[in-house]
Amino acid sequence: MTISVSMTVNGKTVSGDVEGRTLLVQFLREQLHLTGTHVGCDTSQCGACVVHVDGQSVKSCTILAAQANGTEVVTIEGLADGATLHPMQEAFREHHGLQCGFCTPGMLATGYDIVRRLPDADEARIRRELSGNICRCTGYHNIVKAIKAGAEKMSAA
Amino acid sequence: MTSHIKMDERVERDRLAEMVQAVIGKPLDRPEGALKVSGAAPYAMDRLPANACHGVLVRATVSNGTLRDMDVDAVQALPGIRAIIADDRLLRNPAQGMAGEAPIQGPKDIAYFGQPIALVVAETFEQARHGAQALKLRFEADGTAIVAPDDPKADIETPEDEQDSTGDLDAAMQTARHTVDAHYTTPGHVSAAMEPHASIAEWNGDRLTLYGSYQMLRFNRAELADALGIEEKQVRILAPYVGGGFGSKLGIGPEAVAAALAAKALGVPVAVAMSRQQVFESVMRRSETDQHIRLAADEQGRLIGIGHEALVSNLPGEEFSEPVTQATPFLYQGDHRVIGHRIARVHRTCAGSVRAPGEAVGLTALEIALDELAAASGIDPVKLRLINIPQKDPSQDIPFSSHMLAEALEEGAKRFDWDRRRSEPGAVRDGEWLIGMGMASAARVNMLIESKARVTLNANGTGTVETDMTDIGTGTYTVLSQIAGEMLGLPMDSVETLLGDTAYPPASGSGGSFGAASNGTAVLLACEEIRQQLCERLDCDMQGLTLKDGHAIVGNRRIALPEILDGSRLVGEGHVEPGKAEETVRQATYGSYFAEVAVNAITGETRLRRMLGVFAAGRILNPKTARSQCLGGMTFGIGMALTEELIHDPRDGHIVNRDFAEYHLPVNADVPQIDVVLLDERDAWANPLQAKGIGELGICGAAASIVNAIYNATGIRIRDLPATLDKIIDGLQSRTD
Amino acid sequence: MSEGRYLRPQRLDEAVDALKGGGWNLVAGGTDHYPARVVEQRPEDILDLTGLTDLRGIGEFPDHFRIGALTRWTDLIEAPLPGWFDGLKQAAREVGGVQIQNRGTIAGNLCNASPAADGVPALLSLDASVELASAGGVRILPLADFILGNRKTARRPHELMTAILTPKPARPARARFLKLGARRYLVISIVMVAGLLEVEEGRVAGARLAVGSCSAGAQRLPALEAALTGQPADAGLAMLATPEHLAGLSPIDDIRADAGYRRDAALILVRRCLADLGGLR
Repeated sequence: MTISVSMTVNGKTVSGDVEGRTLLVQFLREQLHLTGTHVGCDTSQCGACVVHVDGQSVKSCTILAAQANGTEVVTIEGLADGATLHPMQEAFREHHGLQCGFCTPGMLATGYDIVRRLPDADEARIRRELSGNICRCTGYHNIVKAIKAGAEKMSAA
Repeated sequence: MTSHIKMDERVERDRLAEMVQAVIGKPLDRPEGALKVSGAAPYAMDRLPANACHGVLVRATVSNGTLRDMDVDAVQALPGIRAIIADDRLLRNPAQGMAGEAPIQGPKDIAYFGQPIALVVAETFEQARHGAQALKLRFEADGTAIVAPDDPKADIETPEDEQDSTGDLDAAMQTARHTVDAHYTTPGHVSAAMEPHASIAEWNGDRLTLYGSYQMLRFNRAELADALGIEEKQVRILAPYVGGGFGSKLGIGPEAVAAALAAKALGVPVAVAMSRQQVFESVMRRSETDQHIRLAADEQGRLIGIGHEALVSNLPGEEFSEPVTQATPFLYQGDHRVIGHRIARVHRTCAGSVRAPGEAVGLTALEIALDELAAASGIDPVKLRLINIPQKDPSQDIPFSSHMLAEALEEGAKRFDWDRRRSEPGAVRDGEWLIGMGMASAARVNMLIESKARVTLNANGTGTVETDMTDIGTGTYTVLSQIAGEMLGLPMDSVETLLGDTAYPPASGSGGSFGAASNGTAVLLACEEIRQQLCERLDCDMQGLTLKDGHAIVGNRRIALPEILDGSRLVGEGHVEPGKAEETVRQATYGSYFAEVAVNAITGETRLRRMLGVFAAGRILNPKTARSQCLGGMTFGIGMALTEELIHDPRDGHIVNRDFAEYHLPVNADVPQIDVVLLDERDAWANPLQAKGIGELGICGAAASIVNAIYNATGIRIRDLPATLDKIIDGLQSRTD
Repeated sequence: MSEGRYLRPQRLDEAVDALKGGGWNLVAGGTDHYPARVVEQRPEDILDLTGLTDLRGIGEFPDHFRIGALTRWTDLIEAPLPGWFDGLKQAAREVGGVQIQNRGTIAGNLCNASPAADGVPALLSLDASVELASAGGVRILPLADFILGNRKTARRPHELMTAILTPKPARPARARFLKLGARRYLVISIVMVAGLLEVEEGRVAGARLAVGSCSAGAQRLPALEAALTGQPADAGLAMLATPEHLAGLSPIDDIRADAGYRRDAALILVRRCLADLGGLR
């Protein structure tokens, strides 16, 4: 059974036909070719697929594409302002908050969400808020540093 | 025009030190960072062609036996199903690192639970998965299969060339003033790279292009071609971005061969992405180990004997076995030595390389044993190690190429305030938390692997590096650009490094910590070739040529490179091979770990409070990427010490915890303040860069520092990793009973 | 063969009507749905409940609170609720990570009925009931009677959970939730304990304690609850808990911990919970 869905993704209205069982992450990747959102674990643990749905961070492997009908979705591709990186992206790049880069889009989406909700979060709080995102490369250290730096850049912006 | 070197001897000349661009050794950002933070770096599954079909692998649900038949018709009738591939060329096991030929094939003979046996291909991923789950299979199971290495009926191999003995360790143990004689066990581990294995195969006539997630493309191309029964030159593999490897992507995997076979059969591109559960079951595990360690020391704590005998496991017919004792022959002194290595043949998922095969677990056990010796002899653990550093490799009687263990131990002890540690266990309490400090040595053998690279100095004065080397997150793009920039006098933004394509010159690949040094040497040599060509154009000798900021300086002339090139370009190739240096000297990297833990006296929970690693790995090409490697390695060590453990069902050997919900990688809050210190070192025996591998050093013994800190906190000696709370509470209770 | 139907009703009566046909895979927050189907076949017909927006939100009534079935963990964490909801809020913060709390629903947690479900012990300590609607009407069941075992509930195939009801304590009350796992976050619990104390004139006037992950379903500790009543409400309550009070638990050996450790840890956590509760103002 085919379902027509329509939503705003990174500021643009998009629509498509999906099956009931199609996950948002597959819709984003396969139909919209927004491949910056990754699938890493299949059990909603790793957070490589985090996007924003109506302003909240959500694992796009836990939501059906049909459930996102009518929502506003922001993916990693929608964070930058044209060619200018978002301050949080800039901070991850600068502070080496990444190695292989596979978990990075989800880390960034979560980092951005943390700072928006808790602009003054300290290191301990950032670590707690990052509990839904796993990285195997970096030991997290530089990620936390990057989010703190990103928070400063965001408040200065 | 190739510049070639075979490492038969020391390379006295430090070429990089002669350069003036000053980008080597600097903490420069990754050139590909912007792509990665934008979601624009294409990983294997990001290249899906519009007309691609999807394949989902089907697994065996017995651990040994034969696949009798499959109910193909019922699944063929499902919507969207295009094919069910059950070709004899499907892989039974993934290829081991640097195999360069097909691994064991033939999916119908089942060797382990979870083995891929077929591929269901459909128009959409959802349809393919539905078909794969619906496929009814009939197995003829061999109920007598051995699935556990400690099964008394297990077939145990004792390869002759992997046993070694000098002196008389038994006698030494009897006469020694202090001894340790204990068994240590480590469970299976997985690499758990964040990107699951995935391949997209596309044929153009008899030529195959594969987008994959692999670490060693030149070997992978040979393995894939051999598995398919075609020529290497018919295969091109692309893996410009790899979402982590840690050994799991050294050899070609079942999804690549399956995708290639399906794409050929259907005449359309086929994508096969493994689920995380499939990666757990059908790629590679680090073998569990059982290690018998014996230490004999005199009154002053000087080692007179070391015994290290390991039992590991793998599938029947696999050549790889975890080289547990790799660092033991040269790390500490002692005249009486025994090295033992046995392999149990079991029907479990194939065992292979997981970050730092050998030292990761072997050194961990040895360093716990050293801590036991320190406790038994009353000698400070740092001092015990310092007094046992040998002057030369005690097993082979050859000199060390360079040796920084003492410096690493002393620097670490100083920075960690080690002298504040109370040597008696259980002496420091903070509320219901018991506080302790522990330490361990780090060591990892250093390797050089044949590697080639091509560098082009373009007419506009920019440089391009091309090699089929991969960047699995380690920073290859960065350090190769730095080497080329330094050697050609180019700012970083004038160098482009192109990786991950078998169309480029064949490199070492990423693995065994040898990538940056091996392939970096090839890049350095290629640049030397270009420098030579520039000298010819400028009519000067090599010593008289200075390259900086895109200009050549010769005598009192400063000429922009495009002017010299005059519309042409210069191409140089570099080729490095390992040589006699490997046998002439013992090459290794060293370091130290220091850890402080708090153990809850009531629940047995361990919280790591802080951790320090001090490492020496020759010239550090980029302290930012090097440091990050060490942080990541130490975090693997935290997992090994406290949470990571593959659990096999005792009945059929299947992996019970085959996902991230149940296989516990360290999460953010498990990782405390970690500091990394990199020591300055040059090793002229290693390669012309005088750099050594650093990607794995951070895990080699790291877990021991934590386990030793738990002992210092509680008096409980954990010899069976990981140190989970139930094991600690058992000890706490038996102490209070 | 699967028809692959998808239905997202906007009204409860539509949903209930659809359920009469059966065969649906009910999806609310979806946080358990996808992980489960990666490894096993599930009904492909999806009844998506997220359109039932009336079922999301928390309402206060004279003698109870009504938590709509589709209320998400984040909604609960952010809602201004009396202090005796603190235990449930603490449990909510332990459900997956923030992203899971943003999608996962309380009813989903209860209906999946994992022995390790974070929400169950806290709701048991609140003496919660669940409301189930079907074409035949509405029935209310105590939560303790709803969860029958590992992944088993009293929900009939044609029923839909519509709300969770929590009675207001008769006296001032305080609540706590504690969880022990192998690592810091993203863990499936080894042991969980939730407690609520009603306190009057410095003494325990009523106590409810529940332990999760130590039985097929989370369990109350009635003997301990009785022993606590009438005792001075201070940190000394901790030592009133004895191994006998936990005799009704039936922990299993599994890959997370063995039964003996679970039993020990449960007692430790119960004591810690009581020390915390007693020590509060």
